[in-house]
Amino acid sequence: MSVSPRIAIADTCFIIDWARYRNREIIYRVFDIVFIPEAVLREIKSGTTITWVARGLASGKLSLYTESEDEVEEARSLIIRSRRISHMIPVDLPEALCIVIGRRKGYTVLTENKGAIMATDIFDEYRGVIVWKALEILLTAQLEGVLSAGCNDSSKVFKEYEEDTLHIFPRRDLIEAVNRIEQEMCRQRGART
Amino acid sequence: MKVVMRARVSREDLEEARRIRREMADWEFIEKQEPRIKEALKYYIETGDLYVASRIAGISVEEFNEIRIKARIPNVG
Repeated sequence: MSVSPRIAIADTCFIIDWARYRNREIIYRVFDIVFIPEAVLREIKSGTTITWVARGLASGKLSLYTESEDEVEEARSLIIRSRRISHMIPVDLPEALCIVIGRRKGYTVLTENKGAIMATDIFDEYRGVIVWKALEILLTAQLEGVLSAGCNDSSKVFKEYEEDTLHIFPRRDLIEAVNRIEQEMCRQRGART
Repeated sequence: MKVVMRARVSREDLEEARRIRREMADWEFIEKQEPRIKEALKYYIETGDLYVASRIAGISVEEFNEIRIKARIPNVG
């Protein structure tokens, strides 16, 4: 049985954080292809991020996504709808585009934008869109054996990311992720020895 | 086997994030910045919205992110 490729589309706030992470190359083992919209590329300025993105594009692990007028139009509509809901964090064009593309193509959306996550909870047509932050990638990488889970310190991988990017994971999410690693990875290892 | 999961967010997360940004920010650094940057940093602390903050500052998202890090404001999420 063939396994369908795991494809993602990344927005600006995700890429500029992720490019600072010491183990940033692991994203290519979690995803088969990561698309970067042209609008995101325009926001990248630092040498570190430009070098990482350019090398990724050259190797074919990252791929440029040229958004269509139709996708931009749908994204603008999503922006307006998000601003009409008082309890929602509004979305802006970069993340709105990623959500629209994620829905149309079935790609996982990589973003740190909370409005983007809320949009997939609030709007019915976007409920099927999978949104991941860095936390979900780091957790998946450990559960799938891409990164070795530190059973002596199950939060090590997450702490390293926090140090490199000055990005702090919500404590509740972090505790849940660490518990999951301990239950699914560390107990298995313990059971085998 | 591929792992299936999805991110989520709650009102409590947003309040916690705002509190952490306020507490960890280097306010002395922020107050020394030119008005556009200073107001953009304050906007970011209140909302966590990097894109709009960068537009207030009049610079790219990544340029603003570099200033965010210098101001010791964490990206919480």
